[in-house]
Amino acid sequence: MPYKLFDVDKEIPERKKHTYVKHCSDPEECMPHCNTTTIPGSMSERGCAFAGAKGVITGALKDVVHVVHSPVGCTFYAGGTKRYPTSPNMPDGSKFPIENFNLKYVCGTDLMESDVVFGGMKKLKQSIIEAAQEFPEANAIYAYATCTTGLIGDDMDAVAKELTTELGIDILAFNAPGFAGPSQSKGHHIANHTLFDRLVGTKEPPTTTPYDIGLIGEYNIDGDLWILESYFKEMGIRILSRFTGDACHDELCFMHRAKLNLVRCQRSATYIADLIKEKYDVPYINVDFFSTKYCAENLRTIGKYFGLEEEADKVIADRMAKVTPELEFYKKKLTGKKVYIFSGGPKSWHLAIPLENELGMEVTAVASQFEHEDGYVKMKNRTREGTLIVDDPNSMELEEMITKDKPDLILAGIKEKYMAHKLGVPSIMIHSYENGPYIGFEGFVNLAKDMYSNIYNPVWNMIDFEENPAPEETEIDVESGETPENEAKVSK
Amino acid sequence: MHHDKKFAVVNPSKMCQPMGAVQALLGVKNTMPLIHGSQGCSTYMRFQLIRHFREPIEVASTSMNEKTVIYGGEFNLMKALKNITEKQSPDMIVVTSSCLTETIGDDMAGIIEKFKDANLDNELPVIIPVSTPSYVESHVEGYNRTIKALVEHLATPSVPNGKINIITGNISPADCKQVKDLLYQLNCDSIILTDTSENLDAPLTEETLSLYNEGTSIEEIEDTANSLGTISLSKHVDSAAIFLEKKFGVKSISGPLPLGFENTDQFVTSVCELGDLEIPESVEKDRGRLLDAMVDAHSYNFHRKVAIFGDPDFVSGMTRFTSELGMIPSVVCTGTESERFTEDVKLISKEKGINPVILAGGDLFDMHQAIKKAGADILIGNAYGASTAKEENIPLLRVGFPIFDRLGAQRISVLGYKGSIEFVDKITNTLLDFYYDEAGYEIVDEKTEEILREEGDEGFEEDFMSKEEI
Repeated sequence: MPYKLFDVDKEIPERKKHTYVKHCSDPEECMPHCNTTTIPGSMSERGCAFAGAKGVITGALKDVVHVVHSPVGCTFYAGGTKRYPTSPNMPDGSKFPIENFNLKYVCGTDLMESDVVFGGMKKLKQSIIEAAQEFPEANAIYAYATCTTGLIGDDMDAVAKELTTELGIDILAFNAPGFAGPSQSKGHHIANHTLFDRLVGTKEPPTTTPYDIGLIGEYNIDGDLWILESYFKEMGIRILSRFTGDACHDELCFMHRAKLNLVRCQRSATYIADLIKEKYDVPYINVDFFSTKYCAENLRTIGKYFGLEEEADKVIADRMAKVTPELEFYKKKLTGKKVYIFSGGPKSWHLAIPLENELGMEVTAVASQFEHEDGYVKMKNRTREGTLIVDDPNSMELEEMITKDKPDLILAGIKEKYMAHKLGVPSIMIHSYENGPYIGFEGFVNLAKDMYSNIYNPVWNMIDFEENPAPEETEIDVESGETPENEAKVSK
Repeated sequence: MHHDKKFAVVNPSKMCQPMGAVQALLGVKNTMPLIHGSQGCSTYMRFQLIRHFREPIEVASTSMNEKTVIYGGEFNLMKALKNITEKQSPDMIVVTSSCLTETIGDDMAGIIEKFKDANLDNELPVIIPVSTPSYVESHVEGYNRTIKALVEHLATPSVPNGKINIITGNISPADCKQVKDLLYQLNCDSIILTDTSENLDAPLTEETLSLYNEGTSIEEIEDTANSLGTISLSKHVDSAAIFLEKKFGVKSISGPLPLGFENTDQFVTSVCELGDLEIPESVEKDRGRLLDAMVDAHSYNFHRKVAIFGDPDFVSGMTRFTSELGMIPSVVCTGTESERFTEDVKLISKEKGINPVILAGGDLFDMHQAIKKAGADILIGNAYGASTAKEENIPLLRVGFPIFDRLGAQRISVLGYKGSIEFVDKITNTLLDFYYDEAGYEIVDEKTEEILREEGDEGFEEDFMSKEEI
């Protein structure tokens, strides 16, 4: 019986098919039911398509003004929420004048009742014009449909087209209203297509090299992209276009000139890699840079593609020398610790094997808010027998899992964090990180360090739940003042 | 160069009505807020609420999608009501609308009736619809409408209870505690609408209830019809009080928020008059302690310019309080368009001899521009003020919602004599940290009021006077 119905779901039996317990001899098609309509009142944690478009894909761009065509709420909630830092560096060597511009400002049309009745086109147009006046530094303006404007039928594409001519910069309309699709995933999809249709192929890069790559689906969460960029730079590879972490608008316009595209987040950005491949014949490979093993493997693959194997090996050796002693310490501390990975999508399968093999942890449950079948196939392939694989989980299900299974740690979002804390379980924000970056060699150490410091914090020993005495071993560590640095010294 | 924008909002200083509704419902016992809209609304709001309070918070959604948008939300709303009723068995479900369901014109009351008819044999929770279209006014009005809906549906006259209803508005759990504590000292029995003090600042107990077992109960809300009077701490959330006055003759007093010396005096006076109570010594002592704190602080605060933003009654209350401290409010901004707010601040300005730039319906971009012109030594408001404060090189004293970049937002207290004392300490120490050296000497020579007056740009104030009228 590969599917499991949680006790808390006995009144919602539809949830059963979303919860799969991995069994190695199950046929291939056995996996959680996914990417379907959210069950009303199920306490789902999913977001909307608008959040997927603006929050995930476009909010990472450094030089774009965002105009949310909505009543004030969507504008407020979409402002500066995701940890996407940007640098001022532009492809032509110039500097963008406003630091972290993408996190600082969000514009909106603040729709009123009369706009809903009579249409919001005029207001949208004026707002975009004003946004262009307020922020003359910006190189493009992206406008977003929301539930209201999707319903009243404002023709945002027409406004975008008209103003692109009038203002002389690219104005884009993203028609991903909140009610589109089952989850934020639909917004990723729409944003990919909009950016491809409107931008890719419209500009040429200032210079090209034979070693130009496109790094797709890497959003620079807490500086992830910068870590990868340092590896590529040392290997002699140039990131021509980023999609979209720390990217500028123009980079998207010349994505077609990359010699090879790398797809990092394969849920939110494979769309555009496919489109570019089809139209411009640029090949792409799926990459995985979480953990030392995956990172090394993938750097070698990329090195091989460009004939830079030695360079790749040098980067790998250099980084491994730096991180190995620390990782050994953390592996010792984390071995046998039970952990759940509740990510938005791909991190559940990116991290499952690394946490087990490189840190000795036991991943007993993985979940995703918005993965599709291809993602669940990977999750299934990369988890151990008996692992729970949950689609679109909710906090009550997670609570039941924690109470029964008592994990040592969960990797989840902020919405689950404090619930886990109340149950005496530490939680790390895997969407936007605690003390990231978490990608690459150094990033994996950061993640291990965060997991270690969360699990071994003395506060957990003070919690005195009746039938759940705290494990004793954690105390020893605090008293001895053992740290990875000390450990490393001793071993020398 | 700043242009006079008329259409766009840049970095809003207000949220939508459903958020206000949820804020109000977090203080109601065993109640589930259900947003009738697309999935994003509840998730966005939970995100803001959870990172502010650092507590588990549940908000249900009817998860509307494109298909149900075309055929109307009846199926989704019925299904959500069924699932929540069966799975969580709350005492009450409050269904708030959203821009989506208001635009398609769903008849929530009708659907709820249909749900009840279909479940005549089952025990159902109280189900109350609230119309909270996101494109009308702001979260403040959402809070107001929700309290009104609760009272309209539930208030039932029986026997006089000798209590005073307190409509808090969106205040911190700590402030809710301050108000309750003050009432307790005054020996006043009260019904708090709504009481977030336990729910949103909960001890660690291995319990993570998706429904709160503390807070205002349905019985208490029913009993509001029998109270001596209602005091709405925030003037903008007094519709329920006016309803109770009209329908059941429960006297209504609107504001002011008991923030600072004079406003707390006024609150205490109102409570004592309504309840025919004497002011006990303990309250007199707290009042004296506040005065003592203000006197101790006065040399550090005097003539410091302060910019304030947040909900309208918080901003007007803080304008008065900082003036009482001898500070000079230079820019006061609320996202909610409100004549009451503007009138209040003008009155305070006249009384205190200050002349702040008033932004009613302003956003944080406007506020930043105004601060650049009018100047400020300190900014008071929520975490969204951080980048303005950084750019202007002034400290941000975090009060309001949301505060996600510091710990303990639920424990920030500014109300009552005691909360005001906490605030005096905090603002003065912030100024000391920022403008004074370790020996206690001022680092930067501050300008005197005379110089400030000479530098004042009259034309600028007129500019903004015209903006208020928009």
